Amino acid sequence: MTTEKKDFQTQFEEWKALTEKLIEKFPEKKEAFKTSSGIDIARLGHPESLDENYMEKLGLPGQYPYTRGIQPTMYRGRTWTMRQYAGFGSAEETNRRFRYLLDQGQTGLSVAFDLPTQIGYDSDDMMAKGEVGKVGVAIDSLDDMEALLRDIPLDKVSTSMTINAPASVLLAMYIVVAEKQGVSQAQISGTIQNDILKEYIARGTYIFPPKPSMRLITDIFAYCAEHVPRWNTISISGYHIREAGSTAAQELAFTIANGIAYVDAAIEAGLKVDDFAPRLAFFFNGHNQFLEEVAKFRAARRIWAKIMKERYGAKKPKSLQLRFHTQVAGSTLTAQQPDNNIVRVTIQALAAVLGGTQSLHTNAKDEALALPTEDSARIALRTQQIIANESGVTDTVDPLGGSYFIENLTDQLEAYVFEYIQKIDDMGGAVSAVEQGYMQREIHQAAYETQKKIESGEEVVVGMNQYKLEDEPKPELHRIDPELQRKQIEKLKTLRAKRDQRRVSARLEELRSGAKGTSNLMPLIINCVRDYCTVGEICGVLREEFGEYTGI
Amino acid sequence: MKKIRVLIAKPGLDGHDRGALVIAQALRDYGMEVIYTGLRQTPQQIVAAAIQEDVDAIGLSCLSGAHNELFPEIVSLLEQRDAGDIIVVGGGVIPWEDIPFLESKGIQKVFTPGTPTKDTAIFIEKAVYERDGIEQSIKEPPKKIDHIGIAVTSLEEALPFYVNQLHLQLEAIEEVVSEGVKVAFLKIGESRIELLEPIGDAGPIASFIRKRGEGIHHIALAADQIEDRLRELSKNGVKLIHDTPVKGAGGANIAFLHPKSAGGVLYELCSKATKEAE
Repeated sequence: MTTEKKDFQTQFEEWKALTEKLIEKFPEKKEAFKTSSGIDIARLGHPESLDENYMEKLGLPGQYPYTRGIQPTMYRGRTWTMRQYAGFGSAEETNRRFRYLLDQGQTGLSVAFDLPTQIGYDSDDMMAKGEVGKVGVAIDSLDDMEALLRDIPLDKVSTSMTINAPASVLLAMYIVVAEKQGVSQAQISGTIQNDILKEYIARGTYIFPPKPSMRLITDIFAYCAEHVPRWNTISISGYHIREAGSTAAQELAFTIANGIAYVDAAIEAGLKVDDFAPRLAFFFNGHNQFLEEVAKFRAARRIWAKIMKERYGAKKPKSLQLRFHTQVAGSTLTAQQPDNNIVRVTIQALAAVLGGTQSLHTNAKDEALALPTEDSARIALRTQQIIANESGVTDTVDPLGGSYFIENLTDQLEAYVFEYIQKIDDMGGAVSAVEQGYMQREIHQAAYETQKKIESGEEVVVGMNQYKLEDEPKPELHRIDPELQRKQIEKLKTLRAKRDQRRVSARLEELRSGAKGTSNLMPLIINCVRDYCTVGEICGVLREEFGEYTGI
Repeated sequence: MKKIRVLIAKPGLDGHDRGALVIAQALRDYGMEVIYTGLRQTPQQIVAAAIQEDVDAIGLSCLSGAHNELFPEIVSLLEQRDAGDIIVVGGGVIPWEDIPFLESKGIQKVFTPGTPTKDTAIFIEKAVYERDGIEQSIKEPPKKIDHIGIAVTSLEEALPFYVNQLHLQLEAIEEVVSEGVKVAFLKIGESRIELLEPIGDAGPIASFIRKRGEGIHHIALAADQIEDRLRELSKNGVKLIHDTPVKGAGGANIAFLHPKSAGGVLYELCSKATKEAE
């Protein structure tokens, strides 16, 4: 017993020494951190002596099981990336908003695409009617992508793209635009969402059936492991599962179960776990129920580390670390008294920060009504800047760690998740659970329960079912240019007329035969976009070869 | 009676069907038959499904901002196919400024976020019954005694008894000029006592005091669907003072029943939004 105790003490001393060495290379933001009263702020709060229980459950930040965070210094070293999701209308208009956000101190880009792009239709497709440029930017071809990223240094800015079914196409465009800027694919960094399973479960922008979809995903894993090493090849997302109405435990469980399915698919495709696992990223929801959210993020890290180590035998620390982006919960915003949403967002964002998020999107107050205006988008960004710079919560690592309540909740969420994972394993894994509609049903049930609680008043929503206003003021809203679809179609027509049609057809045919076979599709898709094949044409070929998913 | 049939449909490309699924379930629980189309339906597909399923109403849900293009197209396709009697309602992320446009295009009602699902069910039921000429009966009793109105000559003289002796809390004093009265609200549990002081000699409180002296003037019952209740009461021979609701104190919708039909008691029906807390 005494020897063990000494071991933990030694481990702690080693951790301290390692951390000091790290700080020499990557200094913390200040030499010394102090409270307003002049009290020294410790890098890490911890029990007087570290015992087995502590080391097994919490460990030290930057070390297995990463409950307390994935870096030893966390935000004392570097603040999370402030990454506001934006995109609307035309590529030119969105480019202006991006440059505005970068000027305002945002540190990463996050692209919202319109629905036709996300579902692989060109702007002139019949299915695209009314949808062009509405929920994001319309991208038909490389031409639009070049306009979207004009004058943005792709070797410096990291870009997250919310794109799933056609993720390969948009990533290919990004690679080619960078290449034209003189930036190699090895230098670019960013994330594609590329998480098709949650599309079937909760978000709805699927195109192909599960099997070929999983192939497209593992093709990206393989291509990027070799050529685009700084790219996060997937962002396994619980966000939309939660938005669709799940509980926090379900959000965590289904996301991790999906993560397991991707790892399985990649291994089955012949990849080595330590080759692709470091580039897996996660995306969670920052919801109400502040303390449960903090526990959720901490539990997520511990669960993933355990799974990667024990189930897959991953060796690299980066394979074991769960890195995640957080967006606060859009579904908790009210259309009534929208200013109150700023307060909701603040509390939710704070939970994400205390949970150790790597990047954060704070919602704008008017998102229950329309896309954000420039003003409301700025307030949303300011909210995280205030947390980062004024609240002081960034001065110490995992400040809530060790709280009886938080640790207990973390343990219970973990137990809940492993129970769900067992159930999903028994069903044959996440892909088969999705095909059986299992997660969809669980989520819907939870959503309906919540609705009933809100309507009965058991759950109070301030300004909506209590503390209502008689006359709601009507705020200014952001409008999309109604002419946009017409203009975008014009642009597309011009492109089709001026590009080399023979090359386009040839590229598409190469893609078709690739799809029939088993070779990696990424290089073929890159060739397609380079010759200005459109998103709709590329996805059209794949639709013909792979078929379409029609729901269950 | 035949069950009301409703098609819940997702026009456009957005995949956010939490609202559609919750509404579908709520309408089912309310007693309707509900068919859900699934995602990404074109207006043509929705109209064909509505006609094939012989529905009474269609509920459209769109969160992508494409409602101005898609909702009116559905209504006009229904008309082209002689199915214009199908009631169309909608919801989703719909900016307030688009609602008049949609209503002018034949969307009977747009339900904005936060609408209780029951309100949607009641609206659809009412619209269908009205279309089919079916009289609807309200069986739900009023919810509580909202307040008891007491006529006083002077608030200043009457209030000390309530505040100092009964220790009730005075919430507010308000003038309702149209009724010629100044009202003091005193909260008691879930209800209130309203003291009514006449302004001038012309109003109903002034004449009540002249005839009967100070004392209990009326009892107010909190109830929703006041218009429907008044219609039904009148049809059943109950004499009314107001045939349609008027604005009362605190912005409530109110209507009085005639004491001749109520054993000499003056009853008021009132419906008010929850008071904004300070």
